[in-house]
Amino acid sequence: MAAVIFYGLSTLYLVFLWRKGFREDNRVNYGLLAGGVIFHTMAMVGRGFSFSRCPVNNLYEMMVFISWTIVTSYLAIGLWSRLRFLGAFASPVLFGMGVFALMPALDPPRGDSPNFAGGWGSLHATLILLAFGAFGLSSVAALMYLTQVHDLKLHKARAIFSLLPPIQRLEQVAGGLLGGGFFLLTAGLLISHLLLKQRDGNLWSADPQILWSYFVWLLYLGLLMMRWWFAQGGKRFAWGTIASFVFVLLTFWGVYLLPGIHQR
Amino acid sequence: MPIIVAGLSHHTAPVTVRERFAISEAAAVPLLQQLKQSGLVEEAVLLSTCNRVEIYAVTPAGRPWTALRDFFGAGNGLQPPAESEVYLLQEPASLEHLFKVACGLDSLVLGETEILGQLKKAYELSLHQGLTGANLNKAFQKAFHVAKQVRSETNIQRGSISVGSVAVELAEKIFNSLEDRQVMVIGAGETSEKTARALLSRGAKSIIVSNRSHERAVALAAELGGRAVHFEDWAREFEKIDIVISSTSAPHYVLDRPRLEPVMKSRKQRSLLLIDIAVPRDIEPEVNFLENVFLYNIDDLQGIADEYLKLRKAEVSECEKIIQEKARGLLESLRARPHSGGGRGRTALEAS
Repeated sequence: MAAVIFYGLSTLYLVFLWRKGFREDNRVNYGLLAGGVIFHTMAMVGRGFSFSRCPVNNLYEMMVFISWTIVTSYLAIGLWSRLRFLGAFASPVLFGMGVFALMPALDPPRGDSPNFAGGWGSLHATLILLAFGAFGLSSVAALMYLTQVHDLKLHKARAIFSLLPPIQRLEQVAGGLLGGGFFLLTAGLLISHLLLKQRDGNLWSADPQILWSYFVWLLYLGLLMMRWWFAQGGKRFAWGTIASFVFVLLTFWGVYLLPGIHQR
Repeated sequence: MPIIVAGLSHHTAPVTVRERFAISEAAAVPLLQQLKQSGLVEEAVLLSTCNRVEIYAVTPAGRPWTALRDFFGAGNGLQPPAESEVYLLQEPASLEHLFKVACGLDSLVLGETEILGQLKKAYELSLHQGLTGANLNKAFQKAFHVAKQVRSETNIQRGSISVGSVAVELAEKIFNSLEDRQVMVIGAGETSEKTARALLSRGAKSIIVSNRSHERAVALAAELGGRAVHFEDWAREFEKIDIVISSTSAPHYVLDRPRLEPVMKSRKQRSLLLIDIAVPRDIEPEVNFLENVFLYNIDDLQGIADEYLKLRKAEVSECEKIIQEKARGLLESLRARPHSGGGRGRTALEAS
């Protein structure tokens, strides 16, 4: 809750920065997010120790983990002052995810055994969620890119007065994060086949959650191919990145609430 | 022993007068030594730039400090300027003036930074020749400190107020770095040359020049360390170009959307910055609708420069507050020194 409050304050401060045309230094926002991540990390570590395993076992924990990935990745990238404004754009995403995660239905009373068992299960979940975190930050960079391109195209003074980084750098950051996220997602999905083999004796299952995960994998593969193979970067890539993450955000909950392999 | 300033600048005298008193570095030292030997000054620094000639001096107690005006007068063998063209300032105005000059507040281009380097050079010259003492040393060191403070605490030096510098800033908002960027200059006019030089000063390495007069293109390319191409051939180079500065005297568009669209495909959608400083315009405005193309004309660039100038002007009062506070502090510390003498807070006596 404390972390969500910090993210909310950061979102409010974003409005101030936006009104100032992003001409003010973003150190206050960085500080707010750093403050939030302290409480965020404490909550996750406390929960993990109390249940004696990595806290990635239900929708609530997954949401918390993904948003933690986004904010810690940003804090690392934001050490470089030219990229610090990424945090300003990430704040509303973090705040929204935090508020959503606090819905009681996402964290039902815990039964005897959690949904994931053993280290491989935790690793699988962690990799997938880290991937989604990277996709989230990538879409934030893409949003910044589109904002800058829009301002430059329309000759707005904000394009040149603001402290936002150059669009080439934003495109590279978005692409890099997307590539990193894809790699993590691939690793997480490969481990899932090992887990299936261990549990059911089959490498594959037509479970809706697995099918959804592979659909997302193909979506991001398509984006990467679009960028690097067909040289379709720029606005198309940025919109594709944002749309893909919005799709993930909107469908993730629904898919994991279905009776599926993670509930067995 | 007050610190005084005597001089003329772009505010008070036209260039035809200023140029008569412009003093080279080689001539400055003998001149100041002569002044010192005459007993008119105990310490002196001479600042001579294209926009001002000033002497910062400490005059001995009992000497009429207004006599320094003679430096600009017939006593120096030069046709004296009009009385209104020379100013003579005493503390605290002299100290405030020194700080303003160091901060670029008195410059032709508000907030420019070149003057600080020139002031430092002038001071170091006098320092090494033993022409400064405790008072001027303290005053100049304080001036450099104030300039640094004003630069870090205000926006007086922020942004670019020339068309060329604005173009560079735009390029830096698009590209990570200018170092690997290829620049093309179409039409070798004065403004496009200045813009190209501004890009070079920020690291752009490769310049291609194209002009109707190939000889002019070759000459400019040689100056800029680039290469020239014939005017009919510039379009062939486009695939590799990142920044274009166009300033031809063509009455029609030299670059339009149908011509640029296929080139953008072959460039694999890499960003392209087009700076069109020609009147009438060289580049069809429609090209700005192409993806990854950013077109700015002379009005757009001037508009940005004017916005920056407004920003700087808004900072002047803040800078002046800092300057007045620091000048007061310096004056107190100078007067607290033994044998400091000094005036009694008389207001500046400007040339009347």
